[in-house]
This record gives sequence, structure tokens and C-alpha cells, in this order.
Amino acid sequence: MTSVSSGSMKRQHAAGLPLALLLRLAWRNLWRHRKRTLITLTSIAIGFAMAVISIGIGDGSHNSMIRNAITLGEGHLAIQPKGYLEAPSNSLMIADGKGLTDQLQHPLKALAQQGIQVSAIPRISLQLLASTANNSVGVGLESVSGQAEDPRSEQLRKGLIVGDWLSEEQENGIVLGQALANKLKVRLGSKVVLMAGTQGGDTTAQLGRVRGIFQTGMDDLDSYLILAPLELGRLFLKAELTATGAQIETKTKTEIEAETAQPLTRIALFVLPAGAADQAQLLLNKAMNSSLNSRQLALLDWQTLMPDLVQFVALDDAGNYVFLLLILIMVLFGIINTVLMSVLERTREFGLLRALGLARIQLMLLVCAEAFLLSVLALLFGWLLGGGLHLVLSANGLDLSGMMGDSTAIMGTYMDPVIRPELSLNRIVQLSGGIFLVTLLSGLYPAIKASRVAPVDALKT
Amino acid sequence: MALLSLSNISKIYQQGELTVPALQEVNLTVEQGEFAALVGPSGSGKTTLLNIIGGLDTPSEGEVMLNGRDMTRLSESELSDFRLFELGFIFQAYNLVPVLSALENVELIMVLQGRPEKERRERAEHFLTLVGLADQMDRRPSGLSGGQQQRVAVARALAAGPRLVLADEPTANLDSENATALLDIMYTLSQDKELQTTFLFSTHDPRVMERARRIITLRDGRIVADEC
Repeated sequence: MTSVSSGSMKRQHAAGLPLALLLRLAWRNLWRHRKRTLITLTSIAIGFAMAVISIGIGDGSHNSMIRNAITLGEGHLAIQPKGYLEAPSNSLMIADGKGLTDQLQHPLKALAQQGIQVSAIPRISLQLLASTANNSVGVGLESVSGQAEDPRSEQLRKGLIVGDWLSEEQENGIVLGQALANKLKVRLGSKVVLMAGTQGGDTTAQLGRVRGIFQTGMDDLDSYLILAPLELGRLFLKAELTATGAQIETKTKTEIEAETAQPLTRIALFVLPAGAADQAQLLLNKAMNSSLNSRQLALLDWQTLMPDLVQFVALDDAGNYVFLLLILIMVLFGIINTVLMSVLERTREFGLLRALGLARIQLMLLVCAEAFLLSVLALLFGWLLGGGLHLVLSANGLDLSGMMGDSTAIMGTYMDPVIRPELSLNRIVQLSGGIFLVTLLSGLYPAIKASRVAPVDALKT
Repeated sequence: MALLSLSNISKIYQQGELTVPALQEVNLTVEQGEFAALVGPSGSGKTTLLNIIGGLDTPSEGEVMLNGRDMTRLSESELSDFRLFELGFIFQAYNLVPVLSALENVELIMVLQGRPEKERRERAEHFLTLVGLADQMDRRPSGLSGGQQQRVAVARALAAGPRLVLADEPTANLDSENATALLDIMYTLSQDKELQTTFLFSTHDPRVMERARRIITLRDGRIVADEC
């Protein structure tokens, strides 16, 4: 038998209660009222699952909108004249488009070596007047390269309902939205006169012939957009150059003509993987900063190009966060209720433990450990339920076409009516961390209450 | 030097405007190895005195010297440590931790004391065997009778190696057979020269008084008799 010299002994642990014992006690205490714990866990898990689904749907729809906006818009990044974003004008252009395209090849190769594929798509955007014998309408003309694979062109091509898509062989062949075709009262083969005023006061006109009609369900596109081969758009830019002498460039008109410049409005850059867009922007800026500046050009990201969309996503996210907050509050009170009840029921036991020598901090740790285990279990159940639902919805999609009707546009971009929830690693960490933190916090008040138990009073209860 | 020395201990409770003296100028000395009983009618101050000696309550006046230290001057955490290493408690209502087995209940204080696992396991098993529960060690309190639970409480109090065991009506909830068996166990342990454990009971139970080698009688918060 080991003899005891009690007076010389000191607590060996800072907190005095080994972790294994702490967790064992906490675990067993948690299951003293099995039903209550299960009900609490179920309510937290359901709340958590709702948060997972809600945030997943929000992120899925946002990401889908952003992807579509990038595809139908100007890519992840775009090089365009400074000032074009604020005040688009036919006279603002990249006069030596060929030179810039050539210059881009080197940094794009460097990016490719880092595993970042960037497609550079030449684009011409013009604001024109489209006239037929029946009507005249202001339109946006987007010239699309026939050589490069343009994601926007590919996307819109899916909506072709009549005729053929653009062809380099037919330079004046155009494709337009059905609503616009109706306004102009044109059909396949109809002639459309496209007119633009130059800065010099002249008017340039080109004849387009309808090759096809598309319908996207997005009013902004269907009633406004005309797609044309790059060469058709370039005729307008060249006319502008001839009329004004390329005042946005440092080079003279003669020099540009000497280089047989291929003017563009912008170069759209599509980055794969999309998450590497920031990295690509950084490298391109580094490699081409002086060249872009000297040409009065800017490299812009999609967030800068589409500030309304960014704002919409931020606002919608804020709504989701409010929802998440409400769920967290629900969870908070659910756990406070369970842990507090459990603490109040055990006042006598806490008094006993204090009498036996358990310090206040150890009692606090014990109750916090119960909240901790509850939060671990809640997270586990929550992820099982929420994660499971998320996987099912991700695989099958949530079809909202009944709610959306014919309109598939939100904030001027295409919204896929079948939403597939998405959860990024960041979101998983945010959701788990949020619930975990709230659960732990909810253990604090009961823990403090437990630690304040006076043994002499508690043992009388 | 006496193990326990109380000097002019008073405890006054304030109930609204009413002042209730629970203890009045109590002086008491207890030597190591004593097996003493505090007796007296209900409300005489027995439990209050035990609580003050155990550091669970503080006197309104006076000094409590235990093993050379004035308990009234100890901080909250020092008192916790003091209770952990110097004192053992046995309560009327057994007061075991319901989620721990008999063995774990006995080990609990030794865990807090920081004793090595092997040592505390040996001691817990030894004391549970001494109180006749060698075959009930893995049972939780809900699976033990009242008498068995109180034996576990005795084993828990003693296994931690306290200098003084304070027992508040330890036999009050036990039938005659269990009470006698428990008293036998405690008396035997108090005679163990190696342990030299001091026992101080508060009791109404004549069986405890019969066994006690010293009977201290309290009435209206004062010691009115102290007989060996």
C-alpha cells in the first residue's frame, strides 16, 4: 500500500482535470438525458442543414450567374481603353489590336507554364443604329471572332432558333435576337443597314444580312444585340480611325495604317481555372503594365466590369447571412436551454465536486466540455443531414423554372433556372466555424453559473 | 500540535433584519487519530461547524487552524487545494457522481490530486475492497444500494489520504445493519497506524455515539459538553 504524505502534494495539472477524464465526464453527462440531448441535436442539425442548403443554393445561383455573366460578358479579365467602362464610345478602341495580341502571347505562355490557361478573345463592341424599311432601332453590335472559340458566341449559339450561325465566309452575315428581329420586322436573308456616327461628324453605314435569329430569354440580349463577324465591326472602327486619326493612341494614324492595324474594342480574357483569375491579372499587369499605360489601356477584372452584379451578389449574400444569423441564434438558445437545464439540475452535484476540491475553473471546463461535445455532435449530424441534402441537390439540381417563368435574366445576366447548390471550402469552414463557435459560446453562461455554485448552499438542495 | 484547533468561532446568519447566531464562541481542539462525534439537537450548529472546519463556509469570527494553517485566511483556490489534499467528506446523502462507477468515484479525488494512474487504481481497489465492495467496483451509483453507496463514499474519502474526515450524519439514511457495518469499517480504518486518519462526525445516531471515543455536545451554537 502506498503511503500518503498529503501536505506536500500539489495539483499537477494547471486545470487539474485531465482531458480524458474531462471528456469522459462530459460525454456521460451529455447522455444522462438521452431524449433531451437527441432533441437538441436534431433541432441544431435541422437548423444547420437549412443553413447549408440555403447558403449552398445562394452560392450556387450566384456562381452560376457570375459564370454566365463572365461567359456572356467580357471574360474574367478584359483589356480595353481607359474610360470605356465609364463612357462607352465607338471612338475608344485598341487601334493596333494585332500588336497587342502579339504582345500578350509571351505572358500567356508564362501563365500556361504555371497551369493557368488564358484564352484571349478579340472583341468589338459598337453602338449603332439598325434600320430596315420598316423600322430603325438603336442596337449593340458585338463582333465575334470566327477563329477563336468565344464562350459568349458558344453560349448564344445554343439559343439559335432560326437560320445559321455566323460565318467568316459571309462577312456581312449577322445574327440577332428574336425580339429585335420582331422590332425591325426582319427574317432570314433580310437586309439591315447598320449606321454609326464618327467623331468627325460623318456617318458610316454597312449592310448586314440576317443569317440567324436567337432567343436567350434575356430581354437585354434578345431585343438589343446583333452579332456579326469581326471584320464587319472592324469596318466601323477603321472608319472611325480614318475620320479622327486615332487620337487615343500615341502612334499616328499613318503609323497605324502602316502596320495594317486590326482595331478592337477589347480583348476578353477567359481564365482556366477561374479561381486563378487574380493571379493571371497580377502577372499580366506586371508583364504589360507599361505597355498598357502607354496605349491608354486598362486591364480590368470582371468585378470592375460588372459592378452591378457584384453589388447584387453582395446584397443577396447579406440576406443569406441574416438567415444564417437567425439560425445561429436559434442554435444558441437551443444549446443554452439544454446545457443550462443540465447545469441547474446538477447544482448539488457541482456543490459536491467543489467540496471535494474541484476548482471553479474545472467546473467551468467541465460544462464547456459538454457544450463542446454537443457542438461536435451537432456539426456531425448537421453535416450528415445538410451535406447529404446538398449532395442530392447538387447532383440533380433544383428546378425553379416554374417560379421563374419565361424570364431567365437577373441583373442583366442569364440565370439558369436549374440551380445546383455549391459550397466552397471557405463556406464549409465558415458554416462549421459559426455553428461550432456559437455552440461553445452557448456553454459559457451555464459554465459560469456552474462555477459560481457555493458548495455549502448547493449541498443543501 | 493539535491537528485541528478552533478559537472563538462564531457564525451569524442575517435573515432580513433578524440576526441568527448559529455558532457562538466555539473553542475546540482535535488531535490526530481521534474518532469524535459532534452531537446535539437539530439546529444546534453541528453541520455549520463541520462546514466551517471543511472550508465550505466561513465563520463570522474566529480562527480555524488545521494542520498548522489558518483556513480563514486561505483564498478560494487555496481552500480548494486544501480540501483536495487535507480533507475527506462523507455526506448524509452519499453524494457520489452518478455518471462514474464506484471505482471512478473513488479515483476522482486522486486524479485531481495528480496521482499516477497505477497508484490511484491500486488505492481505489484497496479501499473498495476494505469496505467490502471488491465485486461492485464497476457499478454506477444507481446500481448500488444506499449502504453500498455510502461505503463507496467512505472509500473515496479515505483513498485520497486526508488528515481529517468530516462526516455529516453518515448513517442517517442507512438501516441498522448497514450503519453498523459502516461504523465498523470507519472505526477499523481510524485505528490504522499508517493512515492515522482523524474522524469527526456530526450525528444523532446512538450507534455512532457508542463507537465514538470522544463526544462533543453542541446546543444553541455552543459546546456544552466534551467527553472522552
